[in-house]
Amino acid sequence: MKFHWFNLMPWPYLPDDFTEKHRSVWVDVDSRLFDPVKANRVYNDYLDLLEFAEDLGYDGLGINEHHQNAYGLMPSPQLMAATLARRTREASILLLGQSLALYDPPTRVAEEMAMIDCMSGGRLISGFPVGSSMDDNYACGVNPATLREKYLEAHDLVRRAWSDPDVFAWNGKHYKLRYVNLWPRPIQNPPPIWIPGGGSVETWDFCAQHHYNYSYLSFSGYLRGAQLMEGFWRRMEELGCEFNPYQAAFAQQICVAETDAEAQRLYEKHARYFFSRCLHIHPGFADAPGYRTEPTIRAGLVTQMAGQSSAMNQAASLSWQEMIDKGYIIAGSPDSVAEQMERVARTLKVGHLVCLLHFGDMPNEVCRYSTEMFAKHVMPKVRPIWNEYEDHWSPKPMPREDRAVPRAVTMPDVPPVGPPARIAGAR
Amino acid sequence: MLVGTQGMQVHYYRAGSGEPLLYLHPMLGLHGCDAALTELSRHYDVIAPYAPGWGPAKDDLPRIDPGPLDITLHQCDVLDALGIARAHVVGSSIGAWMAAELAAIAPTRVRSLVLVNPLGLWLEEAQGEDPFAQHPGYPSRIQFSDKRMREELLINGRDKMDAHVEELLNLRAAAKFLWPIPDTGVKRRLSRIKAPTLVVTSGLDRIVPAAHGPAWQSAIKGAGLKIIAEAGHAAELEQPQAFANLVHSFVRELH
Repeated sequence: MKFHWFNLMPWPYLPDDFTEKHRSVWVDVDSRLFDPVKANRVYNDYLDLLEFAEDLGYDGLGINEHHQNAYGLMPSPQLMAATLARRTREASILLLGQSLALYDPPTRVAEEMAMIDCMSGGRLISGFPVGSSMDDNYACGVNPATLREKYLEAHDLVRRAWSDPDVFAWNGKHYKLRYVNLWPRPIQNPPPIWIPGGGSVETWDFCAQHHYNYSYLSFSGYLRGAQLMEGFWRRMEELGCEFNPYQAAFAQQICVAETDAEAQRLYEKHARYFFSRCLHIHPGFADAPGYRTEPTIRAGLVTQMAGQSSAMNQAASLSWQEMIDKGYIIAGSPDSVAEQMERVARTLKVGHLVCLLHFGDMPNEVCRYSTEMFAKHVMPKVRPIWNEYEDHWSPKPMPREDRAVPRAVTMPDVPPVGPPARIAGAR
Repeated sequence: MLVGTQGMQVHYYRAGSGEPLLYLHPMLGLHGCDAALTELSRHYDVIAPYAPGWGPAKDDLPRIDPGPLDITLHQCDVLDALGIARAHVVGSSIGAWMAAELAAIAPTRVRSLVLVNPLGLWLEEAQGEDPFAQHPGYPSRIQFSDKRMREELLINGRDKMDAHVEELLNLRAAAKFLWPIPDTGVKRRLSRIKAPTLVVTSGLDRIVPAAHGPAWQSAIKGAGLKIIAEAGHAAELEQPQAFANLVHSFVRELH
């Protein structure tokens, strides 16, 4: 098993009456609710947590891309990946991921990921989500009628830009470039590619065709996740793909304390903040017409977020124990959590666990505690699962001894404020 | 029938006799338009084709580029395939935009022009609601003045899943041309329209605010303006009689 520490980076200061007074946490959420001065500490705390996770032995550090919302403050995950490339040594940088169709030209994504791979010594995992409807269609204006076409063409262009050593012309339907010649190039050829998906059947076929990891990101809990993953593995088998649990990843809210009761005491309010405020998405922004294809509509699959508009405000009304029983959250003592983790790993058959150990408005110290408890008392128990399989979807970095070591950072002390300067001639 | 040089298959409704009248359907497609078309067919040879991307033509959407050119050439191809040199053209909602472009770019094909709740202009001070940012469970409800009408006109009597899928895919087709802001650049071409024109707006249209009526009227030489008070954006679906009467009185006046 591999464990990746992931933070959605929510805005933790949404008011208690947020869901009554505001229709959406996304797209048209009132910008006056954001405080840039507070954000100085918010961003730095979150980056501290990611670095701390490396110290504790998490395999990967996860970041992602979302726009115009209080659910996640990273419109540019590349910026986060850049600071992690310098300030971490071993962990994978799980950039999950850049929404390809939002970049014009898409070679921009290829370039930025190449930079990060070089800077980090080859530790990048490159995620290529289609992106949510809120982000792509409503915040960034991409036409839902052509979004998937654009995404697929952008993907093909990025793959070729990384691999074709010669200058080439790209005469596509959506992108035309006369001279494509990527400088820099990634160390890994190519970096492992993960496709975050939330419920499109096409994504499964895409992952099978290209041998990509399918990362199921959904907040409907692991019971629903199990149903979907069953469909996924069945489809993979139909398509003749050899089973390997490392070809799948699953994201899950997790929190650990000494006892089950203590976990509730420490974490419940933050879970509620997440489920009721962070997922308070106006249904009109969840699923633009054309965002879901006809087969996906007919399969009754709702996208990651559209499902949230109805399903998730249900989670918000559940009791703590119901949240756990229904799989929305994994919580409790180390033994409880290890048992739930094993169940998730084996039922969903996933080799990569994306551990959302920070959620909602959880303060820094509380998250550090949960992160440490998980690393020290749960990870060792669950790690051996799937050891008989080889993980082809993690980075293959440069040997450690060959990698550049960034200069150590020491912040010079801020000099104390001295006595006011004497004004010459004054008495 | 097959039209054009790319061999596009076009499904269309045709009824009535008299002068040919080309009806260019709204965002909702042709479902629910039966009463309106039947009324029109009492006086005209009504042809109502599914535009590429709508209804049974849903898979043709990738073959048409956004913008006025491909769709206008397509409408000319439809008229050619039917052997019609000139027609009265009645367009509704996005169909009104297409009709205006046809009248501007291929004026010899258009005998007269009726634009019902036209999309295609953007007025900063009168933006209207976003037809594409609606609840995915009932995304076209906002186009009706009474929410039950969506169920009555689009869903009842049909397989629910089929009806809902068509509703979403029809909106997708409209999105291809109108996303994210329904400013199609037609403003620059309206002065080219020579056909006698009537603009019709609805009193209860939440998508196209009342101010758009005079905006279209003032941009088209000699255009008239009429209002159907008790109807939402889908005017001819809600008020087929009033709609057909307006068209007929207008066309009759031309002679």
